[in-house]
Amino acid sequence: MLRLEKGSKVFGETSVLKDIDLTITPGMIVGLAGPSGGGKSTLLRALQGLETLTSGTLHVEGKRGFMFQDFQLFPHMTVLENLTYAPLIHGKESVIQEATTLLSNLGIAHKGASYPHELSGGQKQRVALARSLMMHPDYLMCDEPTSGLDVATIEDVVSLLQSVKNRGVTMIIASHDLDFLTKIADRIVLLKEGHIALDADPKALDNPIHTLKNYYT
Amino acid sequence: MDLSMLDTLIPALAFIGQGALMTLTLLLGGLMLGLALAIIWSIMRYRNMGTPLIKGLVSFLRGTPLILQLSFVYFAAPTLVGIKLDILGAGILTFGLNSGAYLSEILRSGLESLPKGQFEAARTLQIPAFPLWKDIILPQVIQAILPSLTNEAIALLKETALISTIGGMDIMRRAQAVAAEKFTYFMPLCLAAVYYYGLVLLIEYIGKQIEKRGAYAAA
Repeated sequence: MLRLEKGSKVFGETSVLKDIDLTITPGMIVGLAGPSGGGKSTLLRALQGLETLTSGTLHVEGKRGFMFQDFQLFPHMTVLENLTYAPLIHGKESVIQEATTLLSNLGIAHKGASYPHELSGGQKQRVALARSLMMHPDYLMCDEPTSGLDVATIEDVVSLLQSVKNRGVTMIIASHDLDFLTKIADRIVLLKEGHIALDADPKALDNPIHTLKNYYT
Repeated sequence: MDLSMLDTLIPALAFIGQGALMTLTLLLGGLMLGLALAIIWSIMRYRNMGTPLIKGLVSFLRGTPLILQLSFVYFAAPTLVGIKLDILGAGILTFGLNSGAYLSEILRSGLESLPKGQFEAARTLQIPAFPLWKDIILPQVIQAILPSLTNEAIALLKETALISTIGGMDIMRRAQAVAAEKFTYFMPLCLAAVYYYGLVLLIEYIGKQIEKRGAYAAA
């Protein structure tokens, strides 16, 4: 379980998160929505521990992984090295075999020896996803996974992330793309001005995109 | 051509050439020590450890003449700390400290241009500090600053000629010795220039090869 209690974050004089209470139970895809500056990205980073909270507590049971908006692959390493470097540091075994299987499951088996700059946006994302999965996370935070991808690739991302969910990984996805979020999420948490303005199952809403959009004005 | 000139030219060429060994030792020793110091100083500054001290030292090393630093280490330091270094040792230490100061500024700018996300990505993958710097951060930073590193190596090569002022038998000193013995400056100084320029071209060539080999971010 991942639980944030009265989580607050202040940058300078701006309060980005205000007393957020959020419990994330395993087995779901949770979408973080809301207008720019509403705090979704900060919340996601705080759940990972990349932002230290100004106040509040974070309880974590299980391992966390993070997928960056700009992927942050290691540019001087091949795809296979990107996947295997951290597990090898931690002394894990049969890492190369696992990485190869994962790459082929993601449809990029032939890219193992390539460098990140030789990949397309969609391929980079698969590598970033694979790199996180190599650490066997229970929770995977994804920051804007559809940004910069074309419509067809976004369809792929939807099925890709659903397959990750089927592996038993709980996902928390921050996105400005409501069409994508309502398609993929089992629960949508909408942040506005540092507060949770809505917390609902999108399937339970009438015309979910329209309902969510109302909060953006 | 006057054949008697060859009689002086060839021994002089060999005699001055032997000085290249000392010049290269000073260059490589100074560069390695400098790079090691620069890496340590940059990481310490990045992690905010002893920053004012390092900044002061770097500023001092960049703000005083190298010939003064060399004389200080060779002539004055023994009375101060009681350790007398030989010429080569004093040279490597001084050139190392001095190029360390310049290299640490170069490294620092390289470090600042690296996306913060690389550190964060490593953190999310639980990569500990030592492998993080050794395998993730430094290879990228050093690749990015290779042209500046080559420049620093060339600058240091030329500065090693200062070792002649404390009696080091390098290219420069040997050229002066030939000049004093043969009562002619033209030929030995030309030979010294050829040696130095040859070494500079070699450094440039090696620098280019290393740059090409590691050019992963060509896109």
